[in-house]
Amino acid sequence: MRGILGPVIRASALFAWSASLYGQTPEQARFERERVAMVDLIELRGVSDSATLAALRSVPRHEFVPPQNRRRAYGDFPIPIGHGQTISQPYIVAFMTEILQPKPGMKVLEVGTGSGYQAAVLAEIGCAVHTVEIFQVLADSARERLDRLGFTVQSRHGDGHHGWPESAPFDAIIVTAAAGYIPPELVRQLKPDGSMVIPVGSVYGIQNLILVNKSLDNTISTRNLMPVRFVPMLSGIR
Amino acid sequence: MKRLDRKLAVAFLSAGTLAYEILLVRIFAIEHFHHFAYMAISVAMLGFGTSGTILALTGRLESTTVERWFGWSTHATVISLVASPTLVHLVALDATQLVWDSSQWIRLAAIYLLLALPFGVGAMAILLGLTIEREHPGRMYGANFIGAGLGAALAVGMLAYLFPQRVLSVPAVLAAIGAVAATPKSAPRHLASISAWILVALSVFVLITPLWRIEVSPYKGLPQVAAFPGARRVHERTSPVGWLVATEADAFHFAPGLSLGFQGELPKQTAVFVDGDLVGATINQPADSSAAGLLDWLPSALPYALGAPSHVLVVAAGGGSEVHSALAHGARAVTAIELHPDLVDLASSAFAGHPEQRKVHWVVADARSFVARTSEKYDLIVLPPAGGLGTSAAGVHSLNEDFLHTVDAYSSYLEHLTPQGILAITRWLTLPPRESVRVILTVAEALRGSASAVVDSQLVVARSWGTTTVLARPAGFDEAEVARLRDWTATRLFDLDWYPSMSAPNSTFHLLEDAPLFRAAAAATHGADSLADFTSAYPFNVSPVGDSRPYPHHFLRIGSLPRLLTSDRGGWLPYAEWGPIALVATLLQSAVLAGLLMLLPAVATGAKRLGTDWWPTVGYFTAIGVAYLAAEIAAIQQIGLLLGHPIYGVAVVLASFLVCSGIGSIRSDRLNPSSIQLTAALLAAILVILGAALLSVVHFLQATSLTIRAASAAVLLAPLAYLMGRLFPLGLRLFAHTDSKRIAWAWAANGFASVVAAPLAALIALETGSRALFFLGAAAYSVAMVLSCKAPTEPDVVS
Repeated sequence: MRGILGPVIRASALFAWSASLYGQTPEQARFERERVAMVDLIELRGVSDSATLAALRSVPRHEFVPPQNRRRAYGDFPIPIGHGQTISQPYIVAFMTEILQPKPGMKVLEVGTGSGYQAAVLAEIGCAVHTVEIFQVLADSARERLDRLGFTVQSRHGDGHHGWPESAPFDAIIVTAAAGYIPPELVRQLKPDGSMVIPVGSVYGIQNLILVNKSLDNTISTRNLMPVRFVPMLSGIR
Repeated sequence: MKRLDRKLAVAFLSAGTLAYEILLVRIFAIEHFHHFAYMAISVAMLGFGTSGTILALTGRLESTTVERWFGWSTHATVISLVASPTLVHLVALDATQLVWDSSQWIRLAAIYLLLALPFGVGAMAILLGLTIEREHPGRMYGANFIGAGLGAALAVGMLAYLFPQRVLSVPAVLAAIGAVAATPKSAPRHLASISAWILVALSVFVLITPLWRIEVSPYKGLPQVAAFPGARRVHERTSPVGWLVATEADAFHFAPGLSLGFQGELPKQTAVFVDGDLVGATINQPADSSAAGLLDWLPSALPYALGAPSHVLVVAAGGGSEVHSALAHGARAVTAIELHPDLVDLASSAFAGHPEQRKVHWVVADARSFVARTSEKYDLIVLPPAGGLGTSAAGVHSLNEDFLHTVDAYSSYLEHLTPQGILAITRWLTLPPRESVRVILTVAEALRGSASAVVDSQLVVARSWGTTTVLARPAGFDEAEVARLRDWTATRLFDLDWYPSMSAPNSTFHLLEDAPLFRAAAAATHGADSLADFTSAYPFNVSPVGDSRPYPHHFLRIGSLPRLLTSDRGGWLPYAEWGPIALVATLLQSAVLAGLLMLLPAVATGAKRLGTDWWPTVGYFTAIGVAYLAAEIAAIQQIGLLLGHPIYGVAVVLASFLVCSGIGSIRSDRLNPSSIQLTAALLAAILVILGAALLSVVHFLQATSLTIRAASAAVLLAPLAYLMGRLFPLGLRLFAHTDSKRIAWAWAANGFASVVAAPLAALIALETGSRALFFLGAAAYSVAMVLSCKAPTEPDVVS
């Protein structure tokens, strides 16, 4: 047994040592590789905004999932975080972020903090992020996590459908929990030429992504977007 | 032990296991989702067939051993009926992660095994009982049928008085009575007797103090709203139709498709859930002006843009939002139809403070039979959207029969409109559009069948960011009315996708690629050929459905599933319809597991144990198993329409089928086994007649009272079920004679057929309708008739 384990232990030690040269544990190195692969896949699926992709490469998604699911953190699927909420599929996060065309200094409101991952991605881009979470436990854990990881995000616990009047108006709003209606107060808190994205569906997958635009003359319009390429999929399911 | 005691024991065991099956479906529907319940129960039923395989593979048993095993297996059934739900509730399964998390499959397998346990042990007891009484199998099998029928009726009946978690203890009590009946009376102090009475005490204890509690999936609406700050449960009631909960929370609002231009305050509302799913909301202060303000900015208020209707009928009124809307828009009288009695209590009590509550007439009824019965005409008939957009989009209702949105239903609503009356239907808008497209096509089809005017002038389609509202008026819309509708929708930032004389799509506020609703309306109004061309080219199945295939929420073409599921991970999610996917998965898993557990051992050992003529035996019992399930599921669907709710259909059909089959089975002991051929031929003929005519009879009877409809259903099904009950015991006498091995193989083959036929029949009903199921049943009985000619003329057994 010792004969078999010897080389394994030596190889592991060597690997750990080489990784530590870069200031990373083997686990961190693996997460790094998986994160790069995840973003490559997202890029392959059509997301091209460089700021969005750079933020996704930088934010440690594994820190935002429950410990028992960390090893699956970079898979392209949603992961439960408790209270019937999920950390969204990475592609959906990327798609929604790109849609908002985020730039440093933009003021963004997020309704439904969840794990805090979306807020972290926007903060990494340089946006001034305000995020509201209705579930106390999730709000507390997300605040602790974002502080620990060094993301500058204004967060609070409450009913996000009232928005954040003290900091309104916003350049962009992401509503990650819709209940059959688009809260009128959020529309009011959107700046002229601002946009709001609302994923509508269930944990089984996002079915509708609704983009609300407010023009310079305050005219409101929406577009129904699909998170996947629409026409090729349709031809595939006839 | 007296023979009667054994039959009594079998009857109670059957009652317990069938009650357990029905209750599991209810509890899984509450805790998880309906389609998951079907999957789990299907596998649980494998226990029935597996018991046959085990007994068939066991060496020859002495009659005293069989007697002893029979007694102890009744005890094991009681223990498993307590242990199974207790242990199942300890397994933390997240069914939504099955696609990505392999550890969930281990938990799912554990649940399957635990669920299969009581069915396997209970079936073993029944099979041993049949083996003991092999001279008169009809009586024992009849006791099995009658017990199962009474168990089904008892389970549904008790749900009216007790919460499901407590009713789940009842099967153990029933089985414990069976265990006492199975105890030899000659030795009252015998260990078996003491054990049986201890089990009675245990089951009663569990009834008083359930060892489990219902935990609703955190992904359902109820636990999410319940976790909102300050949320409190204000109402809770249970009935066989569902578990109703009302929860107040300041953060909860229900406003389907609310205009983005709405500037008012949202009124306080109470969320209403059935089985943990959101079904609507009541308005806490009905006289509050904010309520009227909100209701006027919902897309469903579109018909009121043309003026105040005198008499409004609200179909499936739910929490009563549309009733509020009708009153707020000046209706003089509102009739609100709702099937769920507890929901009516809740909604009508919410109107207590409304100054115009006397104008509202609440009716607890199924809308189809109410419309068939009433001679009233209405200025406006409203069908509101149900629940939330999330569940609608995920296709979780795709397997639900819904007779409110068929061509026949829309035709009947149109017939009850006044000359200037309007039918208004609002549905959630999923993407790609499916439900909205089907509603447009179905309304057009109904208009074409009921009026002579041009459909083009009778249809209006409007759309918000999340809903579609379709107006149909047989008298047509004139130019002035169209102008008013255009003004009303423009003010509220809604789009008009279709109105009379519209020639090109014109989305201003809510953009959709390719204008599918305009194209659908254009195709539907141009005629039947144009509609057929449109539906065949559309990527989803959006053809209008009738009462014979009442699945208006099913859009996926089953043939496209393999290509869909092999696409990129996650790429297929937006198109997934979980109902049909679960059904196909159930069929596959049932076929594989049944093949491994029953068919394979039968084929491998059949020739040796049964001689060379084993295949007619297996074929016969497979055919009658398939036929029974096909006829039962077809009857449940069509009788469901007659009685107005699937649960009533299930209760009446199961009770009628099982009890009448039981009587037929008991009477079969007096018949010559050669009567199989005549019985099978009669059954095939009856099923063909039912397939051709039952739906018309159902439509004819719809206008009668519920009592007459229920009695008619029982009378219609009784002769069929009576004859069906004969074929298993007659088959045992013809094919198995008194050989225990053949009896066990017959049981296994019949069990295998039942397990596979249940999802197969559901899939056939989904794709082709219930008529095809009756014809499938007829074909299977014809096969059984032919195979009965191949039965061995005398025992030819090597065992």
